Amino acid sequence: MMQKIMLMLSFLVFYPGFAGAQFKGEIVGQGGQKFPIAVSPLKNLGTTPDGAKLSEGLADTMAYDLDLSGWFKVLDRSAYIEHPQSTGITLGAFDFKDWSAIGAEGLVKGGFSVQGDEVTVELRLFDVYQNKERIGKRYTGKVKDYRRIAHKFVDEIVNQFTGVPGIFNSRLTYVSTSGGRFKEIHVSHLDGTEKFQVTNNRTINLSPSWTPDGRAVLYSSFKDRVQTLFLFELYSGKEIKFSPHAGRLISGKVSPDGKSVAATLESGGNSNLYLLDLNGNVIRKLTEETGIAVSPSWSPDGRQIVYVSDRAGSPQIYVLDVAGGKSRRLTYSGGYNTSPEWSPKGDRVVYTGRVGSRFAIFSISGDGGDPRKLTSESSDSEDPTWSPDGRFIAFSSNRAGKYQLYIMQATGENQRRLTGSGGDDTKPSWSPRLD
Amino acid sequence: MAHSNLGYWGLVVVIGLAVGGCAPSATPKPEGASSSASGSKSPAGQQSGAGQGSGTKESATAPGSLDALQKGQSTATPASSPLKDVFFDYDSYGLRADARQVLKANADWLKQNPSARVEVEGHCDERGTSEYNLALGAKRAQSAKDYLATLGIAGDRLSTISYGEEIQVCKQANEDCWRQNRRARFVTMPSRPAS
Repeated sequence: MMQKIMLMLSFLVFYPGFAGAQFKGEIVGQGGQKFPIAVSPLKNLGTTPDGAKLSEGLADTMAYDLDLSGWFKVLDRSAYIEHPQSTGITLGAFDFKDWSAIGAEGLVKGGFSVQGDEVTVELRLFDVYQNKERIGKRYTGKVKDYRRIAHKFVDEIVNQFTGVPGIFNSRLTYVSTSGGRFKEIHVSHLDGTEKFQVTNNRTINLSPSWTPDGRAVLYSSFKDRVQTLFLFELYSGKEIKFSPHAGRLISGKVSPDGKSVAATLESGGNSNLYLLDLNGNVIRKLTEETGIAVSPSWSPDGRQIVYVSDRAGSPQIYVLDVAGGKSRRLTYSGGYNTSPEWSPKGDRVVYTGRVGSRFAIFSISGDGGDPRKLTSESSDSEDPTWSPDGRFIAFSSNRAGKYQLYIMQATGENQRRLTGSGGDDTKPSWSPRLD
Repeated sequence: MAHSNLGYWGLVVVIGLAVGGCAPSATPKPEGASSSASGSKSPAGQQSGAGQGSGTKESATAPGSLDALQKGQSTATPASSPLKDVFFDYDSYGLRADARQVLKANADWLKQNPSARVEVEGHCDERGTSEYNLALGAKRAQSAKDYLATLGIAGDRLSTISYGEEIQVCKQANEDCWRQNRRARFVTMPSRPAS
């Protein structure tokens, strides 16, 4: 009887959508615990002498992503029984008992072969209970880009469980002082690799965000003395400077259709939202504040913009209907609410709110209602940004001393530090999924 | 996208690539290093003295806060500056009585130095979002400029700029430091050449 129940439970886990619409996206193992998965070092199917690096590097990258998600318990490699280089990687060519014996419910196995500067990688996800293969994929790419392959496969694993692909093949852009005194714009892969510095101008650079195709970063800078926006194309190195006729551009976000920018233009002391084209020319003014309207963020359908206004006497979150021009207030609790970002799922807005003397991250329905506090106010957590699937939030926190970047699930669970640097890392913005 | 586009990263044209974040200690920039940022065209401090007003003696023009930051110099207003800072309450751009006193004294100096031009910088303490603070700093600078206008100082002598929370004069997380950072600062610029 026990056997039957266990088989049924693993059936629930592996077939997406079964868990019910409101819990879609949840991955659980037996007894509601994290899903135990083993990630075997890959088998060298060719003759490259560099095998160990790829064998373990591919497995390490997948293990890191699976662990970071908070959904999986990646079993310790030191407990693995079989020898990966002398065991088969396809169904029937290895013994599932070697894996059920250590408590694995899922298993990732595969192999690779190197030809020149290219590598071909085969990866499979196995269901240890049912002795079945769930996913089998083959990828080809440059050897130096091997991590991308690992990220893509983890995204497939997540898709298999939940019906929505994972977000581990993605990037963050953020501000870092790198231990010095200048705030520069950086880009890295979510796992902290492939670091790239967009600016190195020794002034103040802020508020980076992505174009919807993930190919360019919009940021503000004082590098030409007057603060304005720059659109930097990652792959060509080309940059467009936005030059308003008057005033300063404080920040901006590219619209979901990629055709325009919602930006804050400050002139004569007043900061308002404007709609700009991709060259920085004003299309129209969006708000009419005699005070402050800043930090616009688009809803995924491009019809609404969530932003911060001080019209009520202190910074609060408002929602603008772009076509009609009317705004409604979203936050009524707390005396200082800023930094809103609309989830790519369209349902919720995440923001930073002051609690006592500290800042914490909250989420609230886009329709209003009670906010949910997601982080502790024993330290500061700020600058939240959504993952492209709306299931994770990256943010900046000084809970360990200097500001570093963290990740958590949208519920606030499983808060983990992303790779740190020597300096303050702030204002992360999460890219769309990479190809 | 083509299927074998994993080599895209190799097409990235690297601009200013720096290996960041690996070693915990980034190479410290030497104090006072004069390598200005490319694109920064500030003439402040280099033409001081040319065409300055007669009468009231003044110390050499101090650099503005961004220039000082770039040069690794103090971003605080020197004690010898004839134009003093005005301070604000938290999340406010209203002028207190003490602020109005300082502005009156600053206006007097500006009247005695009719060719002097000033940039009014707005600053905030480090709490809150950088974007909101950039807007708040702009409000503070404008508040000061508007009040100087009521005291008879022509608007075209005063430019405004906001640095939000980005340039701090002290770094402690306490009210004593925060209070010092919530300021408007008055930086004399080189005079316009005679047209």
